[in-house]
Amino acid sequence: MSVVNQVISGPPQPGNRLSVARLGALESWDLTEVWEMSGRVAGHLLDLGVRPGDRIGVLAANSLEWVLLDLAALRIKAVTAGFDPGKFDSAGAELAARYGLAVLFTDQHETAERVRPITELRGLAPAKAELPTVRWEPGEAPALKFTSGSSGPAKSLLASAGSIDSSLAAVQEIFAHGPGDDLFVFLPLSLLQQRYWVYSALVFGHDITISTYEAAFTTLRTTRPTVVMGVPGFYETVRAHMQAGAARTGASPADLATEVFGDRIRYLWTGSAPANPATLRYFTDAGLPIFEGYGLNETCIVTKNHPGGHRPGSVGRVLPGKEVLIDADGVIHVRSEHPVATRYEHAEAGDSEKMFRPGGVVRTGDVGHLDEDGYLFVHGRADDVIVLENGKKIVVRRIEERLKTHPAIEDCVVTNPSQRQLVAIVSPSTYPMDTALVAAALQEANAALDHDEQLAKAVLAERFTIDNGLLSSQFKPRRKEIEARYRGLVVDPEEGIRA
Amino acid sequence: MPDAIETAARSALAQVLPQDLPPEAIDPDADLEHLGLTSLNKVLFLTSVCDRVQVGLHHFTEHDLAAMRTLGQVVTALSRHAEVH
Repeated sequence: MSVVNQVISGPPQPGNRLSVARLGALESWDLTEVWEMSGRVAGHLLDLGVRPGDRIGVLAANSLEWVLLDLAALRIKAVTAGFDPGKFDSAGAELAARYGLAVLFTDQHETAERVRPITELRGLAPAKAELPTVRWEPGEAPALKFTSGSSGPAKSLLASAGSIDSSLAAVQEIFAHGPGDDLFVFLPLSLLQQRYWVYSALVFGHDITISTYEAAFTTLRTTRPTVVMGVPGFYETVRAHMQAGAARTGASPADLATEVFGDRIRYLWTGSAPANPATLRYFTDAGLPIFEGYGLNETCIVTKNHPGGHRPGSVGRVLPGKEVLIDADGVIHVRSEHPVATRYEHAEAGDSEKMFRPGGVVRTGDVGHLDEDGYLFVHGRADDVIVLENGKKIVVRRIEERLKTHPAIEDCVVTNPSQRQLVAIVSPSTYPMDTALVAAALQEANAALDHDEQLAKAVLAERFTIDNGLLSSQFKPRRKEIEARYRGLVVDPEEGIRA
Repeated sequence: MPDAIETAARSALAQVLPQDLPPEAIDPDADLEHLGLTSLNKVLFLTSVCDRVQVGLHHFTEHDLAAMRTLGQVVTALSRHAEVH
C-alpha cells in the first residue's frame, strides 16, 4: 500500500509522539491521539460541506491544528492549500477567492465568508458518522503548492499523491527513520515537504517535533531531536552564531553544536537551495553530518546524499523513481515515474511549457553533470551561463562560489556587461566595507580561476536581503533584480574595485 | 538590572548585525530591520540575550517578538520580566 494510503488507512501504532512548540508552550500527543483528533476535524469539514476534490486553505503559523487539518483533508480526499502568513500579504478572503477554496482556516484574526478561525478546531466533538473509506490514486492531487522560484510572482501546482509517495518511500530507504528518531520541523507547514515528516512519523513510527520559527532555537535544545530539517540560510546563520560563540568563549564547535542542537543529532538535512560548501564542512567537522540534496517544487526530491552514499560537493545520487537526463548544453532534466504535476495551476502564459515536457520530464534550468558513480553535481542555472565573445561558456556560479570563500564577501552575483569582462556585484560581510579586503578577495579568486573566468572588477552593493528584494524567499540572490539595480556601477569604467 | 540587560542586549545585537558597529554605538531607537537584521538573526539575537540575562523567552509570544522592532523595545520588554524575578 502506498505511504499516503497507509497514512489514512487507520490509526498508527501507539508509542510515538507529535510535539508542537510555540514560545512559552510545548504540548505533546501520542500519534494515536493525533489520528483521533484529525478524524474529528475531518467530520467537521464534512459538516461544513467540504467534499472530495474541494480545496481547503490554511493561512497560519505551525500548530497542532495545521497538522490536523492536513490529515483531515487527506482522510476525506480534500486538497490542502497552505499559505505562509509571512509570505502571503493577502487577506484570507482574497486567497479563498483567488484559489477557489471551499474554506480557509486562519490564525490571523480575520472572519469573512469562507474564512474561519483555526482555533475552532480544538475540542471538537467526535464525528457524527463514520468517515467514508477513501483511497488516493497516484495521479490524484492532495495538495496545492506554491513555488516562488528565484524571481517573479508565486506559481502554483497540484502535487500528485504518487510523487509524495515515491519521495517518502525513497527517503525512508536511505535514512531509515524509525523508533528513537525525533524529526525537528520549524519551516512552515505550508511547504508540502515539511508535512511529509508528519506522514513519515505516522507510517514509519517515530517522533516529530514541530515548532514555530520564533521558538526554533529554544525548542531545539530542549527537545533533543535526532534530525533537523533545515535550509542553507538557517545553517549559515547558525554557523555564524557558533563561530561568534567560539570567538567569545573559546568553546569547541562540537560543544557549541550540542548547545544549539542538543546532544542526539543523527544528521542534519539541507535542501531547497545550494549550500555553502564551507558551511557543510563546518558542521561535519563539528560532528554533525549534514546531507545536501537536489530537487525543485516541480520535481520533488531528485537526489540526496545520505549516510550510505555521500560525496562532498555533489547533491547525491538519483533516488528510485527518478531519472536525471543531461542535455547537450548540460541542462539537467528530470524524468519521474510519478510526476509531481504536468503543468502549473496558476502561472504566466508559457511558464508551464517552459518547465514541463512530455513524458513526465521537467526541464530544471540548472546545469550540471553526473560523475562516473552517479553523483549529481550542480554547477548553476542555465540562465547563469555567460557566453563570451570568444565563444567560451562560463558558469558564473563556480566563480561566485570561489569569491564567497573569502571572509570579506557574504554574497555576490557575477555579470558581464560587455561579453568581454566579468564583474562581480558584491554584498560584503561587514559594513563599512574594507575595499582593500574586497580587492584581496578578487585577487585570490582570480588566482584560482581560468583566464576567461577572471574578474575585472567588483562593485559594492547593499547587503542582499529578502526585505530589499535582492534575495528570494529561498535565500537565493535575485540575479535580474541585482543586475538591474547596479547596472550603472557595473558599466561605469570609473566605478568599482579592481584586483 | 535594566543597565545589565541593555549591556547584554547591545553586545548580543552587535554580534549578529552585518556591519561592524561597537555595541555602545547602536541607536536604541533604530529599526532592527533597517540595521540589516534578518528575521532568523532576530530570533537568534533574542534567544541569546534572554539566555545571557536569564529571562526565559517563554515569557513572550510570537506576536510579542514581532512587536520588538528596536533595541530599546527589546530592553524594555526584557526588563519588565527581569523585575518580576
